[in-house]
Amino acid sequence: MSAKKIHEDQKYVDGLAANNTFITQAIYDKFAPKVINYIKNNSGDTYDAQDVIQETIITIYNQAKQNKLQLTCPFDAYFFLLCKRKWLNQLKKSGRKEVTINEEVLSKDDDAQILSFETSVFENKEALFKEMFQELGDACKDLLNATFKIKSMEEVAKSLNITYAYARKKKSLCIGQLTKLVQASPKFNLLNY
Amino acid sequence: MEEQDYIQFEAYVSGEMSQNELLDFENRLQTDSKLNEAFQIYKDLSSHLKHEIANEQEASDFKANLDVVSSLYFNKHESGESKEEVSQEPNLFKYIVAASVMVLLGFFMFNQVSDPIYEDYNDFHSISLMTRSAGDEVTIEAEESFNAKNYKDALVAFNIILEDDFANLEIQLYKSIALVETNQFEEGDDLLLKIINGSSAYRDNAKWILALSYLKQEQKAGCKEVLKTIPEDTEYYKSAQKLLKKLD
Repeated sequence: MSAKKIHEDQKYVDGLAANNTFITQAIYDKFAPKVINYIKNNSGDTYDAQDVIQETIITIYNQAKQNKLQLTCPFDAYFFLLCKRKWLNQLKKSGRKEVTINEEVLSKDDDAQILSFETSVFENKEALFKEMFQELGDACKDLLNATFKIKSMEEVAKSLNITYAYARKKKSLCIGQLTKLVQASPKFNLLNY
Repeated sequence: MEEQDYIQFEAYVSGEMSQNELLDFENRLQTDSKLNEAFQIYKDLSSHLKHEIANEQEASDFKANLDVVSSLYFNKHESGESKEEVSQEPNLFKYIVAASVMVLLGFFMFNQVSDPIYEDYNDFHSISLMTRSAGDEVTIEAEESFNAKNYKDALVAFNIILEDDFANLEIQLYKSIALVETNQFEEGDDLLLKIINGSSAYRDNAKWILALSYLKQEQKAGCKEVLKTIPEDTEYYKSAQKLLKKLD
């Protein structure tokens, strides 16, 4: 996506990443009504909409914080597609059937389709990463918690009472182990690697 | 993948490869698709862990803000809508949370001529924690003790909640009130400063409590300093300005 022009609505993404309350409020004021309408017309209520919107914003925040989100389309279309997909997935999971997909409200913006799809994949990745981290042994968990919290590897080594060289090596092997756990998961195929 | 591969991944991700190693490694990535796949996952995992672990506080500030904005928006949205919808119980709780977050620490002002004292201002509104953790016993204990102004017991309960959920800023804020109420100023002020130095929606609230803590400790100058930092667009601004005038 490097050659594409960044859309001016990138300001919403950057605002979320900077925890700018005015931007967050603006997102609700401008973009929530369409989502609420859609969900209410498709077997949901306002409270479902509130949850879907909040979860979607958190995902965008996470992606933006990892510098992985460059908007090349209007935020409106992108955001709506994300919320819509999340809601349809929830309906599917809960077995509530009467889903009517109103194609008129679907955006035809290709970039929005692609970007929102990437964000959904990102969300799935994050969820699987979190799940697999819990599968790690305590030694790896402690070491990774320490290495990412304390910036200096020397201090990490000291705090865990191991040598610097061993701490470094151990860090790569622990993330390596996590890599293997992710690859071995049945959900791995959904991640587009 | 072999151990050595992961060690190389780490060296690449942390930018510790020499120019030659780099070229060699990138070459291998292009020709070996298995290696490439494992490397992409490794890279994403590193970025994920960094965000999850290193930015934990920042992310919890963000979520606290989002909670407030979302509650406010949907509160407004619902009240603007037709009233015929029967209010269901969980909805009612959401209202209470939204209302309590914002109105929680409003204060009655007394127009007294004498020097202002802490007791003029410590009329803290009731708190409602129920929706947060689905009404477990400790949460109920915390809420009831706090609302009954039994701050000692409230503190015990807050501490138990924070053991599992140490980044919970809402509880931290209530805990700081309980600390000030029980004259544990050092710990209370420390906690408040921590909240103030973050970027959550509770910052201004914490400033107001800190000012009151200083007032109780009869540190007029400190109290004034803090009051002056409360921004105009917050609900504490008016109270802060009034208190400032009285202190002058």
